[in-house]
Amino acid sequence: MLERFLERSTDWLYGYELSRETGLKSGTLYPILIRLEKYRLLEACWVATEDGVPPRHTYRLTPNGLELARAKLAEARPRSMVRQPAFCSG
Amino acid sequence: MMLETHLRQAATVLLESAIRLAPPDTREWGRAMAGELNHVEGQWAAAMWALGGAGVMVKYALASLLLPGRGGQDMVPDGGLFAKSAPLRKAALAIGGACVLAAILFFAAPPFRQAFGVALRPWFHMYQLASRSFQPGFEALAKRADMLHDPEGLAFCAVRFQDPRESARLAEEAVRLDPKLLWVYAAVAMRNPGLSETQPWVEKLERWDPQNALLHLIAAESIEQANVHRGWWSPPTQEQERAWQNAMAAAFQSPKFDDYLDRVAQLNRRVIPCYGFYDPYEVESRVWIDLPIHAFQNSERFAKSLLHSGEDLEASGDRKGGRDKYWTVARFGQLIDSQGRTGLEHWMGTSLQAMAYRQLQASSQKEGNQSEAALFAYLAAKFDPLEGVHAGFPGESAFGPDISRRNAAVVEISGLMILIFSGLVVLATSILIAGSLRSARPPAELARPVATLVVLTSALGLLFSSVTLYLTYRPYWYIFQSAILSGDRAQTSDLRDFLHDFPMLPGVSPRGYITLLNALVYSGSPSFLFYVWSGVTLLAVSGLALILLRHLLGRPHAHAP
Repeated sequence: MLERFLERSTDWLYGYELSRETGLKSGTLYPILIRLEKYRLLEACWVATEDGVPPRHTYRLTPNGLELARAKLAEARPRSMVRQPAFCSG
Repeated sequence: MMLETHLRQAATVLLESAIRLAPPDTREWGRAMAGELNHVEGQWAAAMWALGGAGVMVKYALASLLLPGRGGQDMVPDGGLFAKSAPLRKAALAIGGACVLAAILFFAAPPFRQAFGVALRPWFHMYQLASRSFQPGFEALAKRADMLHDPEGLAFCAVRFQDPRESARLAEEAVRLDPKLLWVYAAVAMRNPGLSETQPWVEKLERWDPQNALLHLIAAESIEQANVHRGWWSPPTQEQERAWQNAMAAAFQSPKFDDYLDRVAQLNRRVIPCYGFYDPYEVESRVWIDLPIHAFQNSERFAKSLLHSGEDLEASGDRKGGRDKYWTVARFGQLIDSQGRTGLEHWMGTSLQAMAYRQLQASSQKEGNQSEAALFAYLAAKFDPLEGVHAGFPGESAFGPDISRRNAAVVEISGLMILIFSGLVVLATSILIAGSLRSARPPAELARPVATLVVLTSALGLLFSSVTLYLTYRPYWYIFQSAILSGDRAQTSDLRDFLHDFPMLPGVSPRGYITLLNALVYSGSPSFLFYVWSGVTLLAVSGLALILLRHLLGRPHAHAP
C-alpha cells in the first residue's frame, strides 16, 4: 500500500482504488488508514461527486507519512530481495 | 441476481447500522466506506465491501466500550501500524486461559467432582441403553471386595446389584464370610422374590428374626412369582393359594416390621469411606432397596379379603369375629406405618388403616353406636393417604420438592454447559494454533478473530457454569456427607428429591430411573427452565466478559509509529 502512495505521492487516492490495487479488503485496509491518519501520516478529504451520489473520501500521505513510507520500503527491499520464490520454472 | 441485490442491500443496511454504533470520531470513516460502496463493481464485491466495513465499525464500537475514553483509535497492534491483528487478542486469550484454569481448579474440590458426576448421570443413563454394563461402579467395587474377601463390601454390592443372579452370588459369599450379615438375604430376596434361593433364605431368616413381617411378605411374593414364567402369569394352584394365604396371615399377625434400612445405612457408613465410593445417585437412590410395590399389592389384596370375610361373619351374626378381622388389618397398617421408614411403607400403612377404620365405622353405624362410628370416621379420614393429615412423605425436608426439582435442572444444565464450553474452548484453541502456524492457510488465519472471541466467551461460560454447579450442589454434598459419615439422616429426603427429579432431557422432568425412550414417550410437563437458564448463562457470560475486559484492559498498548 505504501508503494502505491509513493508512486502517486501527490495524487489523492480513493479507498476502493487502493483496495483494488493492493488486494486489501475493506476490513483490513481501513483500520490501517485510520491509524495512519491518527498519527498524522495520512491526510484525508472529502470530494464531491455528481449529484445524488455521496461524496468520496480521498487520501494521500503527509510529508511525515512519505518519509516513513520511504524508510519502511527501504527496510523491506533488501529482505524481499533475498527471498526465494516458492515455485520457479527454471 | 435478485439474491445478490438483496445481499448487497442487506450488507449496506448492516454497514449503516454499524456506523450508528461506532464512536463519533470513527463514524466519518464508516461514511467513507459507505461512500465507496457506490463505486464498487459487482454485487458480491459490494456486499463483501459493506460487510468488511461493518466489521471495522463494530470492532471500534467494541473497543470504545471496553476501553472507554479512547475510542479504540489509538490501539496499535503488536505488529505495528500495518498489522491486521488488534491487541485485544492477547488480553482475551489471557483472560480465557485464566478462566479455564480457574474452572479446572474446581475439580480439586470434592463437592464439585461429585456434582459433576451427578450432573452427567442422565446422559450416562442414555449411554447405558447401548452398553452391556449397567453398574460399572458397583461391578468394580464388587471385584475389589471379592479379591479382598470383604463381606461388607460384597453385601453393599449385593443390596444394590440389578442383576439378580450376581446379587444372589454376592449375598451368599458375604454371609459365608460373615454370618452376621444374614439380613442381606432379605434385602436381595425382597427385590428378587423369584430367585430359587428365596425359600431357603427365608427359612434361615425366620429362625434368625422370627417376628419380622417382612420375611412373610417376601415368602408370599415368592409364591406369586412361582407362577410367572417368561413374563406370563398362570393362576395359582389351590396349594399355592393356601400357602400364599398362610404367609400373608403370618405377616398380618407379626408383631414387628423391619425393612433393614438401618442396617443398610450402617453398611453405607462403613463401606463408602473405605472404598471411596462417593456416588450419591447409587447410594441414596432407594429404588433398588425400598420395599417393592408388590408388598403393598399383596397386603392390600389380603386386607380386602380379610375385610370381606369380616363382613360375612358380621352378616352371619358373628359381630366379634368380623370386627377382629377389621382390627387385624388396622393393626398391621399401624405396624407398617410406625416401623416403616420409606414413603411406600407410610402409604401402605395409612391406606390399610383407612380401609379398616371405614369398615369399623360402617359396623358401628349398623349397631347404632354413633359416637364410635364418629371416632372411626375421624380415624379413616385422618389416615386417608391422599387427603388425611398423614398424607405425603414423612421424611424431613428443608428445601421441598419444588426447590430440589429446580436445583436438579440447574445442576444438569450446568454440567452440560461445562461440556459444551470445554468443547468450544478446545475447538477454538485448535483453530488459533492452526492459524498461528507458518504454513497456515488463509482460511485458518481469517478464523482467528472469531476463534479468539469463542475462546473468551466459552472460557467465561465454563467458569460461570462451574461456579453455578458448585454452589447449587454444595448443600446436597453436605447432606450426603452427614448421612454417610455421621449417620445424620436429616434432609436426606431433600437429597433423594433432588436425585429423583433429575431431568432426562432439557424440558422433561420424569422421576426416577427411566430410559431415554421412556423420557420421549412419557415426556412429563415441559419445563422452560432449560431455556431460562440458557438465557441466564449467556447473559451472565456476556456481562462478565464486558466487566472483566473493562477492568483488566484499562490501559491499552499505545505505541507511537
